[in-house]
Amino acid sequence: MKRSRFPQIVTLLGLLFLYIPILMLVLTSFNESKYGGVWGGFSLIWYKKLFQNEDVWKALRNSLFIGVSATLASTVIGTLAALALTKYKGFLQKLHYGMIYVPLIMPDILMGISLLLFFVALSFPLGLTTIFIAHTTFCISYVTMVMLARLQQFDWALIEAAEDLGADTWQMFWKVMMPLLTPGLLAGALLAFTLSIDDFVITFFVSGPGSTTLPLFVYSSLKFGSPSIINALSVLVLLITFTVLWLSQRLTTEKP
Amino acid sequence: MKFKETALTFPSFGWLFLFFVIPTLMVFAFAFKPYDDFGGIEPGWTLNTLYEVLNPDFAVILWRTLWLSGITTAVCLAIGLPMAYVIARAHPRYKQSLLLLVVIPFWSSFLVRIFAWKALLHPEGFLKQALVALHIVQAETTLLYNAWAVLVVMIYTYLPFAILPIYSAAAKFNFQLLEAAYDLGASRWEAFVKVFMPGIQKGVFTALLMVFIPAIGAYVIPDVVGGTNGEMIGNKIAQFTFTERNLPLASSLSLFLAAIVLIPMSTIMILSGSGTSRLEATGVSKE
Amino acid sequence: MAKSLEFEGVSKPYGPVQAVNNVSFSVERGEFFSLLGPSGCGKTTLLRLVAGFEKPEKGRILLDGHDITQIPPNKRSVNTVFQNYALFPHLNLWDNIAFGLRIAHRPEDEVRQEVQRMLKLIQMEDQGHKLPDQISGGQKQRVAIARALINRPRILLLDEPLAALDLKLRQRMLLELDLIHDEVGITFLFVTHDQTEAMAVSDRIAVMEKGQVRQIGTPVELYEAPKSRFVATFIGDTNIFEGVVSEKISTDHIWLRIEGLPPIQCYNDKQLNVDDAVHLSVRPEKIHLMRDMPEEKPKHNRLPAIVEDVIYKGDHTNFWVRIDGHRVAIIQQHSRFLLDEKPIRWGDQVWIWWHADDGYMLERS
Repeated sequence: MKRSRFPQIVTLLGLLFLYIPILMLVLTSFNESKYGGVWGGFSLIWYKKLFQNEDVWKALRNSLFIGVSATLASTVIGTLAALALTKYKGFLQKLHYGMIYVPLIMPDILMGISLLLFFVALSFPLGLTTIFIAHTTFCISYVTMVMLARLQQFDWALIEAAEDLGADTWQMFWKVMMPLLTPGLLAGALLAFTLSIDDFVITFFVSGPGSTTLPLFVYSSLKFGSPSIINALSVLVLLITFTVLWLSQRLTTEKP
Repeated sequence: MKFKETALTFPSFGWLFLFFVIPTLMVFAFAFKPYDDFGGIEPGWTLNTLYEVLNPDFAVILWRTLWLSGITTAVCLAIGLPMAYVIARAHPRYKQSLLLLVVIPFWSSFLVRIFAWKALLHPEGFLKQALVALHIVQAETTLLYNAWAVLVVMIYTYLPFAILPIYSAAAKFNFQLLEAAYDLGASRWEAFVKVFMPGIQKGVFTALLMVFIPAIGAYVIPDVVGGTNGEMIGNKIAQFTFTERNLPLASSLSLFLAAIVLIPMSTIMILSGSGTSRLEATGVSKE
Repeated sequence: MAKSLEFEGVSKPYGPVQAVNNVSFSVERGEFFSLLGPSGCGKTTLLRLVAGFEKPEKGRILLDGHDITQIPPNKRSVNTVFQNYALFPHLNLWDNIAFGLRIAHRPEDEVRQEVQRMLKLIQMEDQGHKLPDQISGGQKQRVAIARALINRPRILLLDEPLAALDLKLRQRMLLELDLIHDEVGITFLFVTHDQTEAMAVSDRIAVMEKGQVRQIGTPVELYEAPKSRFVATFIGDTNIFEGVVSEKISTDHIWLRIEGLPPIQCYNDKQLNVDDAVHLSVRPEKIHLMRDMPEEKPKHNRLPAIVEDVIYKGDHTNFWVRIDGHRVAIIQQHSRFLLDEKPIRWGDQVWIWWHADDGYMLERS
């Protein structure tokens, strides 16, 4: 049969479409001129200004702090949830599953405003803590799903084998289950971390004065501040995210 | 394994109940509260706040939100389907790389990408100058700050959400069925429509929902590139929350949004048992 | 001396049915004992009851005279070779085999010695550093056996260990299993649905159906003297005729009246009387087929028949012949050079015969 070129053409155009803004961004970040339309010469000036900017560093610190803590919390909670869902069936788990699944398909803005109302009603001050809570909340769902998939592929005969060879519950958990779940845990943790670092909408709703994260900083610079450093920042963020995700890919394609 | 069910379930169940279920219920609660003009909330309950949402101004925004999301979904499916097909049919050596190519921009910071579009569409930007030079647009038209800008950026942002679920279904599709169809006399087009598409319909449906629902709730995109003529429900909710500090009204609007989203959402819940389809297309950017 | 393993009235339900239904028997020390039966017969459940992964609803299980029914699996001195081996993928072969000893906190010197001994037993001395996914199926099975045996269990449980291997490998591994059993000398409890496997290596076999033990015996006993129609047809193939005792010839022999056949002589080991109903089982290899009518001989049953199907298999041929309403299966070994003879074909008129002592009467059940 003659192969129609149509799908391939669409694919090529589609990929081009996906990459043009990114290429533009990279170019502009090295552009001397302030305005994107005019090429002022290759320069690292924006990168220099970026590093000199105090607010950027503060925002980065906040983002990392929240990222790490939310990742830890959500990985632990999410893994426990996945274990419960795999081990037990019944009404409780059905309810449990619903609670984990719905946040995944709900628009961010709904989650953002609901948490804001929650904190306002409790007169809880908005700040790093509320951001931490919010991030952990939506990360739990993702981690649980990753671990669920891993657990479905888990060979439970290995647990029986460990029991057969004399291991008690504690030994079985640490010597057999944990080592085998570690790649999955890392994948889940990496996912949670990337989601947290990059989150904007939900963070926007629950942040307070002095608790700026990187995405919030980017946003406000976009709207009100100097956009040129943001170009440089964006490229750096891209680079870091690529590296982190490349690592994640390596871990998930490795044999369990 | 001696883990007790309640002990294992409690951490996640408790956390999500406190920080997801209750806040969601709060949105319901606030929507029925009256507000005063100074950003305060009065005691008691009323249906007035809800009624306010139904005024004609909102109708414009609602309509715009619906048709923007609709067209975005349609275009994403139209581009995503052939792309997913190509990747699924690709030689194994290229398959991984192609997927990575699709996923990489998608997994980079979405704020950054939206910002990149803002720069691209800038009135003094490179693209505009090129288009003017090609006589496609006039010098005065702004590419930015209108519904069309929102549309383009939404399509850009949500395209991977469409490609990945369709690809996932296409990867499981048995392409020998197409050969069987040709063998029985079908043309390429007939085989595609009568055999391939029904075979991946679950993936297409997932893609539809995965684009439509986030699109309906979009906030950042219309906020950054939409201007006043590109406002969507998301903007309005944020506006009421931060600019006018009118939480009851924001809640009412949110309730409205939730209601619109509820229908496709409950469809997914009924259809997908294990929920891993969302995870396959899951990504960093949550918009 | 106490038996190695005893089941006393053991029952275990699975939903609405009894997976294991009031099973009682014992296994001798050092025996290679097999549990044989079709899927769903309860053999795996019984094995898991011994391992401790399931608890019986009723009854007791005794190991060397001690009641182990309530003891959890990690405290029983039995070890299991799992169907898909269940080797720990994150540990190399050495650590896999050493696992049980390390769990028991044995000193590392002892562990090293024992693991080396085991690797030698399974002939994989220099492969301890490898990971499970780097070795073949047959090697995995050997490592699984080593991992179990190193703990010196009183009984080794094997759950269809050859099921995941291809035919040729299965045959080789079966022999290796037999050799290891001879060397190590402990009781083996072997579960399989493959009767040739069971017959090849077992000292005794328990044939199970629907949760119950139908018969226990040596392979020869089960093959030649099955106690029921189920066992007769499950192990090997046979021809079954339903008949009635019509006359006693002597103390040992009787005439049977079978519909559609001339009177059949049979050895009367069950001491049946006239008019008793009976099932007669005659194995295909015990029946002879020839073109010309055989001479009449005492204690020989000869019958005319028409050939219905022929399958040539090189060293032997399977025939199916029809006599009235009966379809009789015959296996004929070719112990002489075949090409000189005219082949027997579909539709040919032939004669079949067998010796009266070669038929076996089954209990009618």
